Amino acid sequence: MTDVNLPFETDEPAPQRGFRLGLGSVVLLVGIVLVAVVFGIALLQRNQTQPTAGPAPDFTLTTLDGETYRLADLKGQVVVINFWASWCGPCRVEAPALERVWQRYQNQGVTFLGVAYTDTERGAREFIAQYSQTYPNGLDLGTKISDMYNIQGVPETFIVNQRGEVVEFIMQQVNEAQLSAILDRVLATGA
Amino acid sequence: MNRFKNTRTILMVLFALLALAVPALAQDGGEVTADDVNAIAKKMYCPVCENIPLDVCGTAACDQWRDEIRIQLEQGFTEDAIISDFVSRYGDRVVGTPQDPTLRALSLVTPWLIGALVVILAGFGLLRWWRGRGTRAALAPAGAPASDDDYRARLERDLQGRR
Repeated sequence: MTDVNLPFETDEPAPQRGFRLGLGSVVLLVGIVLVAVVFGIALLQRNQTQPTAGPAPDFTLTTLDGETYRLADLKGQVVVINFWASWCGPCRVEAPALERVWQRYQNQGVTFLGVAYTDTERGAREFIAQYSQTYPNGLDLGTKISDMYNIQGVPETFIVNQRGEVVEFIMQQVNEAQLSAILDRVLATGA
Repeated sequence: MNRFKNTRTILMVLFALLALAVPALAQDGGEVTADDVNAIAKKMYCPVCENIPLDVCGTAACDQWRDEIRIQLEQGFTEDAIISDFVSRYGDRVVGTPQDPTLRALSLVTPWLIGALVVILAGFGLLRWWRGRGTRAALAPAGAPASDDDYRARLERDLQGRR
């Protein structure tokens, strides 16, 4: 007899060890998947950019005068959508140019829509009065329109052609010559 | 008669002083201070920057919003009414948490739920490790236990077979 411990063979079949997940592992896996999904969605949303082509997201704007404009109803016209705010310096710089271009093109099948981003009604009204803007302007209530267009700041301007497609996106203050050239081109070619 | 006249004059002067003092006191009590504005502003966030409370934000947009809060306070709006008004005009991002009761509950409960889940998982893991330790200790051959005759017999049989 010996006290040496040796591996021994038995006739008993070895217990089958299949691939089995415990409750903790399952919960952990589900948690990891959920976190990955949440981060994925957040990343996708962060990477969304302004539309530069294709159908322009439809919206309804109620102006400070109480009029209502729906983008889908403006098909057949070229629409200039300008996001601005009274607290924004570059918006003040471009405001006179926008008004001059509007005056020149309003009878040529062009509509301007000014969308005030996170602005107060008082501030927006003062801005409009100060720059004598006559085209439709309204507050972006709930920042819904800004969200649809994924704007990153103000001013930002989108040009929508007669078919309701975004054909130009300007991520800075516009000037008269630039905007006029774009409108001439879109009116002539629709693109 | 003269004494009555003097008393009446004194009373009239007192009333006049009181009449002057009341509006001044009322104005002092109703004045909206920067602290009043900031008490509400700190529950809101800058509209153009990320995660900066409105009370410490230095942008022109924040100045404008704080001014709007001051005006609404002067008009007698309550804190809740002002915040609700801002949320309706600028969306849930104003307050950082959704105003919708379901979404708000989810956003507030979820971190605690995840924390609880982690604690439960850690508990499970600890329990499994503890039980495993007990089993390993029982299976470990600590010399040849005198009472473990069956084990000893099987070992002897195996050794016999090898010889």
